[in-house]
Amino acid sequence: MRKYLARRALFALGTLVGVSLIIFIVLRILPGDPLVAILGVEGHARMTPADRVRIMQDLGLSDPLPVQYVHWLRDIATGKLGKSFFRGDTVAELILHRGPISAEIGLLALIVSWLVGLPVGIVSAIKPNSWADNVARSLAILFIAIPGFWLSMLIVLALLFWFGYKAPLIIVHFWESPWQNLQIVIGPAIVLGLAQGAYIARMSRSCLLEVIGEDYVRTARAKGAQERHVVLGHALPNALLPVITISGVLLGFVLGGSVAVEQAFGVPGLGRSLVTALIERDIIVVQNLVLLYAVIFVLVNFFVDLSYAWLDPRIRYA
Amino acid sequence: MSDQPKLGRGRLSRRTFLRAAGVTGAAALGPAVLRRRAEAQETPSPVRPDPAAKRGGTLRYAVHNAPAHFDVHQSGTVANIGPQSPMYDCLIRRDPKDGQAIIPDLAWKWDISPDGKKYTFYLRKGVKFHDGADFTADDVKATYERIVRPPKGVVIPRSSLFTTVGDIVVVDPLKIEFRLTEARPKAFMLGSFASGWNIIVRKKTLEENQGNLRQVMNFPGTGPYKHVSRRDKEIWIMEKNPNYWNKGLPLLDKLEIYHMMPFSPELGSSFLSGKIDYARLMDPVSWRKAKEMPNVTAAAFNQSVIQAFWMNMKKKPLADPRVRRAIHLAMDRPTLVEVVKDTAPMQIGGFVYPFHEMSTPKAELVKRLGYQTDMKPAVQEARRLMQEAGYGQGIKGLDFVVRDIQTFKLWAVAIQAMLKEHINIETNLRTVQTSVWFDEAAAGNFDLAISAIVSSLMDPSDYFTAWYGANGPQNYSGWNNEQFQALAKQIERELDDTKRKAMVRKAEDILEQDPPLIPISYEQIYDAYYNKVKGQNPSTFFGIYDVCRWDNVWLAQS
Repeated sequence: MRKYLARRALFALGTLVGVSLIIFIVLRILPGDPLVAILGVEGHARMTPADRVRIMQDLGLSDPLPVQYVHWLRDIATGKLGKSFFRGDTVAELILHRGPISAEIGLLALIVSWLVGLPVGIVSAIKPNSWADNVARSLAILFIAIPGFWLSMLIVLALLFWFGYKAPLIIVHFWESPWQNLQIVIGPAIVLGLAQGAYIARMSRSCLLEVIGEDYVRTARAKGAQERHVVLGHALPNALLPVITISGVLLGFVLGGSVAVEQAFGVPGLGRSLVTALIERDIIVVQNLVLLYAVIFVLVNFFVDLSYAWLDPRIRYA
Repeated sequence: MSDQPKLGRGRLSRRTFLRAAGVTGAAALGPAVLRRRAEAQETPSPVRPDPAAKRGGTLRYAVHNAPAHFDVHQSGTVANIGPQSPMYDCLIRRDPKDGQAIIPDLAWKWDISPDGKKYTFYLRKGVKFHDGADFTADDVKATYERIVRPPKGVVIPRSSLFTTVGDIVVVDPLKIEFRLTEARPKAFMLGSFASGWNIIVRKKTLEENQGNLRQVMNFPGTGPYKHVSRRDKEIWIMEKNPNYWNKGLPLLDKLEIYHMMPFSPELGSSFLSGKIDYARLMDPVSWRKAKEMPNVTAAAFNQSVIQAFWMNMKKKPLADPRVRRAIHLAMDRPTLVEVVKDTAPMQIGGFVYPFHEMSTPKAELVKRLGYQTDMKPAVQEARRLMQEAGYGQGIKGLDFVVRDIQTFKLWAVAIQAMLKEHINIETNLRTVQTSVWFDEAAAGNFDLAISAIVSSLMDPSDYFTAWYGANGPQNYSGWNNEQFQALAKQIERELDDTKRKAMVRKAEDILEQDPPLIPISYEQIYDAYYNKVKGQNPSTFFGIYDVCRWDNVWLAQS
């Protein structure tokens, strides 16, 4: 087990170093001048070559690329993650302030996806091709097909025009006011959760259908066990393994989807910060946030792998 | 008889002599003494609290509030002036009643020498910065030295307004002189000093930060509100400055300035749901909704931005003024304004701000070729010009660089169709992110390029140099017309307004015939506020950069 953990940790580290290198290089070869955002259109137009040299030096962008990369690694090691080009805020402060909101949205979306997806998948699998199954499958396809940001905008507009309602404008953390906090995170969590729930419903339906046809399920039924017990006690635990795997992957979609959904709901989370930083060409913020998302994705998948052994005692790590 | 003066009665005694000398001296010095006393008697600010005003309360104001940095002088965006202006004062300012008249601010009086080459400002006594330091002429000198001659690595868009400012002399702690190398029209110079961007900063603050305040969030000002807290891209909170020099102001206890992107649905929905009291830069759809609400005032006013596209003069067909004039005439401007009516509010205009007293009046402009609703005569003339220039068959494959902003994307498609239909010019649209657009424009990697540019003043002498000057920083076309350049220089120097106006009209004619850019429209600003917000009347404002201090604003109900 220890060897396995060490090997996985090494792979994870390699993946993260690879991601850091790719994002570092891509951001530096992207066209676009961050000085336009820093100085504004008029200031940029009036900037002399000497001004440019001075400002680029101040921002640390005149150093050779390997030196800039080493500086970034140093910033990661010290936990500061570097300073934004703009306003001089540290990225660590940004993540500490906005991270909890995005984390809540991600977690709630995952819960919503399971709460919606799993029962729908079970109902569909128990009564395949029934009207309930057909409705569930149609809805699942609908929620997969609908773009999250569009659904978000519809929800925002519906709440506004029907109820004159708008969620709080600034971040309120859970520990400051749970009720206000819930108003901020619930919308994005439902939109993201419904889309992922549709995947979970489809996956759990197909897995359950496959497992329900297995010999041990037939045996359980032959023993006279109740259908509820057969499905929930025997079939479902074995059908869950691929669903858990896909949940890890889906978390990646949640992280990616949150960028657009936070924007549509006007939630000042990390996803929204990423969009703004990309527009402003604030490469220090972008590279750190992308790396953070990569770290989360790698960690979740790592824990998903570990959970296999707990869920299925036949799996042993060599 | 002796000619000697006699002593005794009728003679000049020592006492009489001294008394006479005293009276004479007093008579001679009296006016000066009295004048000095009068000078010392500061006139109060014309910005006084409304007698009916209620005090207290918190104004929830939403505006673009995510500046790239905190240095107001170095900025050109509302993201700075919008939230930061309430913390600072200027030497002189635009009257918040109408946004037009120039009135005293930290300078309670000013003199202009008869030759127009010396501006003397008399400063208020007892003004303190938020950190408790006294405000003096040294702070004004440090501020303006930086604006006029920025240190290396500091870029200030308004420096060009003060190119004729030579020495800035501190006469005494409360008096400062600006000596010009050459006289400029009074309206131009006073407009420059009254620009909301030219906030007075402490000399010590500048020295401590090597003249660069980009990363200094809370540098002390003398303004009506003081910084309390700020959360990036969320909110900036300010409280009343209890020691504000203009006694009785401000009227509000607190300002909550929310960050909302201009024209965003988020801004609109926040206002319509009542989460904010005052919304600046609303999108037209939300603004129209707000206008229908009974307890809301929806105001529209002019903004200092021209929307245009540039033509690369280094490319052969576009170097020909006839081709550029043909492109100019091929634009159906009423339609272009209509195309973006749900995205951003616009109005038709030519090469000079259409609402400025020196430009061709709107009623006259819309009768001119290129601005008419009926396109036929303009298109006919455009085709004739193309024929004459040798491009009767049209031009193919022009690279049209489009800045990735909704209005420009909508316009680009419409312009592409107009060019094709009217004068058979085919273009390939290339949409790029904003910073890439400026790289491409500066490097000349385009045939046509669409964007928007801003000016600090409405006065043509400000933007004639920047937009149309031979080496103007925003002359992306690389355009040059010697006749125009000579005329622009004359306009800069002409002190007589009537003569200036005639010259500006002449310049307009040159620009019509030899366009340096193609004007699409001029931006308007849509604000909306609940009627409980009093003391703010933006309808006659020019732009959003000069009047945004909120010192005389109050809430009818908190």
